Amino acid sequence: MKLEVLDREYMYPGHVACPGCGAAIAMRFLLKTLGEKVIMVLPACCWSVIAGPYPQSTLKIPVIHSAFETGGAVATGVRAALDIQGDTETTVVTWAGDGGTFDIGFQALSGAVERNENFIYVCYDNEAYMNTGVQRSSSTPYGAWTTTTPGREWKKMRKKNIVEALVAHRIPYAATANIAFPEDLVTKVKKARDTKGSRFLHIFATCPTGWRIPSEMSVRIARMAVQTNIFPLYEVEDGVRYTINYKPKEFPVKEYFHLQGRFQHLTDEDLDHIQDMVNEDWQLLLRKAGERTP
Amino acid sequence: MKRVLEGSQAVAEAVRLSRVAVISAYPITPQTHIVETLSDFCAQGKMNARFLRVESEHSALASLIGSATTGVRAFTATSGQGLALMHEVLHWTSGARLPIVMAEVNRALAPGWNIWIDQTDSLAQRDTGWIQFYCESGQEVLDTVIQSYRLGEEVNLPVMVVLDAFFLSHTYEPVDVPEQEEVDRFLPPFVPKFKADPAAPCAFGPLVPPAAYMEMRHSMAQAMEEALRRYPAMEEAFEGLFGRRYGTVEAVHCEGSDIVLVTTGTVTSTCRQVIEELRGKGEKAGLLKLRMFRPFPTGEIRRHLGGAKKVAVIDRNFSFGASGIFAQEIRAALCNEPGHPPVFGFVAGIGGRDVTADTLKEIYEQVKAKESPEKESVWIGLQEVRNET
Amino acid sequence: MEKRNDTAKTSLLILPRTFTSTEANKTGSWRYLRPRYEEKTSPCSAACPAGEDIARIEMLAEEGLFKEAWETILRENPFPAVCGRVCFHPCEGKCNRGEFDEAVAIHQLERFLADTARKNDSKPVIVGRNEKRPEKIAIAGAGPAGLAAAYFLTRLGYGCEIFEAREEAGGILRWGIPPYRLPLDVFRAEIARIQDLGIPIRTGTPLGPSFLSEAKGKYAAVFLGCGHSRPRGLGIPGEDLEGVEEGLPFLASIRRGNMPKISGPVAVVGGGNSAVDVARSVARLGGESWILYRRRREDMPAFETEILQALEEGVKIRELLAPVRLERKDGRFVLTLQPMRVDGKDVDGRGRIVPDGDVETMEFAKVFKAIGEEAGEDWYRPPAEDRDVLRLSNCTVSMKPGLPIVVYGGDLAASLKSVVHAVASAKEGAIALDILFREGRENLSGGLLKCRVGEGPSLSMEIHLGGPRARRSGHVVGYSEINTDYFQMAPRITQPRLLPEERLRGFDEIDLRISANMAIREAGRCFNCGLCNQCDNCFLFCPDMSIHRGEGGKDRWIDYDYCKGCGLCAAECPRNAMVLEEEEGS
Repeated sequence: MKLEVLDREYMYPGHVACPGCGAAIAMRFLLKTLGEKVIMVLPACCWSVIAGPYPQSTLKIPVIHSAFETGGAVATGVRAALDIQGDTETTVVTWAGDGGTFDIGFQALSGAVERNENFIYVCYDNEAYMNTGVQRSSSTPYGAWTTTTPGREWKKMRKKNIVEALVAHRIPYAATANIAFPEDLVTKVKKARDTKGSRFLHIFATCPTGWRIPSEMSVRIARMAVQTNIFPLYEVEDGVRYTINYKPKEFPVKEYFHLQGRFQHLTDEDLDHIQDMVNEDWQLLLRKAGERTP
Repeated sequence: MKRVLEGSQAVAEAVRLSRVAVISAYPITPQTHIVETLSDFCAQGKMNARFLRVESEHSALASLIGSATTGVRAFTATSGQGLALMHEVLHWTSGARLPIVMAEVNRALAPGWNIWIDQTDSLAQRDTGWIQFYCESGQEVLDTVIQSYRLGEEVNLPVMVVLDAFFLSHTYEPVDVPEQEEVDRFLPPFVPKFKADPAAPCAFGPLVPPAAYMEMRHSMAQAMEEALRRYPAMEEAFEGLFGRRYGTVEAVHCEGSDIVLVTTGTVTSTCRQVIEELRGKGEKAGLLKLRMFRPFPTGEIRRHLGGAKKVAVIDRNFSFGASGIFAQEIRAALCNEPGHPPVFGFVAGIGGRDVTADTLKEIYEQVKAKESPEKESVWIGLQEVRNET
Repeated sequence: MEKRNDTAKTSLLILPRTFTSTEANKTGSWRYLRPRYEEKTSPCSAACPAGEDIARIEMLAEEGLFKEAWETILRENPFPAVCGRVCFHPCEGKCNRGEFDEAVAIHQLERFLADTARKNDSKPVIVGRNEKRPEKIAIAGAGPAGLAAAYFLTRLGYGCEIFEAREEAGGILRWGIPPYRLPLDVFRAEIARIQDLGIPIRTGTPLGPSFLSEAKGKYAAVFLGCGHSRPRGLGIPGEDLEGVEEGLPFLASIRRGNMPKISGPVAVVGGGNSAVDVARSVARLGGESWILYRRRREDMPAFETEILQALEEGVKIRELLAPVRLERKDGRFVLTLQPMRVDGKDVDGRGRIVPDGDVETMEFAKVFKAIGEEAGEDWYRPPAEDRDVLRLSNCTVSMKPGLPIVVYGGDLAASLKSVVHAVASAKEGAIALDILFREGRENLSGGLLKCRVGEGPSLSMEIHLGGPRARRSGHVVGYSEINTDYFQMAPRITQPRLLPEERLRGFDEIDLRISANMAIREAGRCFNCGLCNQCDNCFLFCPDMSIHRGEGGKDRWIDYDYCKGCGLCAAECPRNAMVLEEEEGS
């Protein structure tokens, strides 16, 4: 597999991401595709720390760190300022974690995309409030342990479907992506870059620390999430046209769960139930994409 | 050119004349006329600005942080609940050293829903690092908005221009609206000292450890002091072009007075009349209008109040568990002056209740009758409540 | 606007804004595991008796670098065109891809590379030692073993001379393997390439037993690659009746161009490659071939592909029949056969056979004996192992005082009788002689160990010469160490071949050419186990920008100042070309 990405790096080494951090990989791919004419809005998340403590920055683009819930709002303001100064080339990107997107940042995101603000909103999803110590978010999947869903209080609500929530806003482009599928991710970033209006990318970014897996499993686990249909790769244009990018062969979810410490407490019965939910969601997605369900 | 304008419209005219580039606001009574007028200006092309119709006040100010960091002049307006919601972002704006100007219409805080004048909302934000001006008239509001851009951009601090709900925001007065060329001479285009620029990338607002944070906050403190230092020169220039100046305070018959009343906002207008009336009867009464609240003009306060026998501060606000806020601050300014006068605090006009000439006279009589204050703040005009829970 | 002085400006504006990079944080200090590029041994190359660097060959072929791929073969084996046709390809049996979908068609690709080189008249760069050694080596027999020995020894700097009894060089290649498997011009070209290295071949010069003693003084060593030319007898009455023919001479006769017409049922007694070759040749000459084998079909030493093709061509096989007696009757041969059955196992693992029931008879127009051969002369046989005689994996080295060193190679001493084993035996002998001459006997076993491919017994000349292959780890990559997520199922190419009816019309080569496109596609199926083929997964997935590519995209290196040892590079390397080791002092 040879990927056509720019050789240039837009990140300096020496950042403090955990070994094997999926979010670091995701950022690297994003910047390699977008280049340097970018202003990035960075609300509170792991990357607020990874980006480097004063006076250091690991990114070779301008970054505006912002309050937790303001990812969509600050980007709106940046875009307005660029437009009024006649700059139509610089891309505005919000780079937020799942907490700042699904929960506390949802209002600003919904507001911004409802206005079809011209920016790319990227949510790198490590499925919990990792930066503050692995607490549950609405992105945490069904079945997961977190520090606020410990023991038998493991999360019994399904993961919020953020892409569908945004698709309901009829934004020009929404897509899921995954660090283990770099070609697909890069293609989608390019598509987002070349579209106008509100564009949303939901990137699956493994967190070895929070998911309790060895660091070298980061990419493999991410790949398995797609192969099991737990995190399907698909795009939606203008809120109506669905394209599923990858249809894996039959791959039961059990192994995905067995490999992660955050799921160790689940019984076979729980896993069967999860398999049913995954199948159900996959069928739903197929129908939306206008594909025959077997 | 003199026009009869509502206070809200005066704010809007000043924003237009200041060549603001991005306006972001969320509607809340009684700020709505400001943003509606500005929206109209943009739609008609009278202003070359982007108008952002955000989905909350928190997002309104947050979006302006984005705009100002990207190097343009920005404006928002809010009131009461909206300002309270913005609280986190107020701190962020000043910490980021962004010279954003906001029109703040003083309105009571819920619960119960109360859209009328009360100063607790803006004063509850006194620690956020924003310069604060309390305005008395439509003219003052217009002039202060323009002045605020110049002052804020010099010292890199945001400015809150405060006006009373309805009494100022919705009252029509004659206002001299200057010409664009005149304003341009006073307020040149915004040249940011820093901005987010792909050609010179850096990160704004990163993690700052204890080893570095304190100096940044100290820098803000120094900027406030600098604002106070530069204010007279700024007003000098303003007066040179427009023939008007206001000072950080306005002393009316303070010299030689036994009792000086301290007021802010539209109460000042009523008080001017009362002082004239009292003096007409031979009372040695004076009035100090407090206009600049942050930075607090300690020097001027001491200068004009130090010689009085008693000071009476009218607060249309309260810090629960302590006293009226202006009274607190004035007491604090005077306490290190040897032989300073006692400060009587009065809380009046809360939640839109009228502060009439009679109220002010009653306050004067109370102060005159007492040697020293019995309580830190006395609530004036309370009525008996029959139905208690 | 009035001017401000600069000190006022700086003290007014200390704000949270960065002005340097994170490069000052040497996050390499976090590490307790350290990744490293380490190329390893592919199972195919370890299984190849000649130790060909197959993973690298396919990697180069996939890139279209056919000449370089061919030269890589030549480092270990001078007969790619021959082996690409007649080798039984044990490499494919060990191919890791075989556990994924189907083994890579290594055999076909070897032939393609050799044929392409010949078509383009490519002149190979053959790596050898620059220094010339004083020792001269005599080689008896110009079969694959002798020729390969000369090839390897010449590269090592030794002057060689080959003595061949027959009128033309080639041995089994010339006289034993039928033309439909190995056309004449193919191996003649390969032999010519060896001669071009400056090796004289004295044809028509048989050597006698006194040669060894006479050789001392003139030659430091003698390599005996005379092969097995004496046919074994059946040991039954009537085996020497007139008209009963030996298999190998029959094949040699065909090789000379004699194509007698044969009709009627023909018996071929035996189960080895020679027997199958005879049977198939008879089929082409018009006869109806019957292979009679005393053990089971699965015990036949002939290569499986040969047997299958024979069956396609109409050859019939009858198993578990031992010949008892041969008689003539009415111009026909009557063969009495004893049916056998399996009862337990023999020492060599094959089923032990015992008579089972009554004999039967079969009538034939002709009978061929092809049950195997042995050394043509007694002095060809390697002596028993003792203090002065070392039995190595594929050759025997005799260091008796008063004589030159004698290396017994090829069919005389190899573990299996095949062309590639002949090459392996020649290489082992050549390397053994080189070590003996340069380092002495005490370093022999150590020196041989160093050039093993994987766990051995295959040896690599490139490793012995200190080439890049010497830096690889001997760990043989298993299927579980391949990250199969990076590969998609793809069907193996099928060997285009003449139809059975087309084959029977004559002795034309039955396997046809494949195109370059097919070759590239098939080579692309190779996992390149243990080798870095610059896929850049390591570079792609490093979260810390610690993997760098050298000039021209080659030579990856790791910046240990920042590498946190997360292990993603090693985990995502599809072909196990990296290792993760404990950091020192952790």
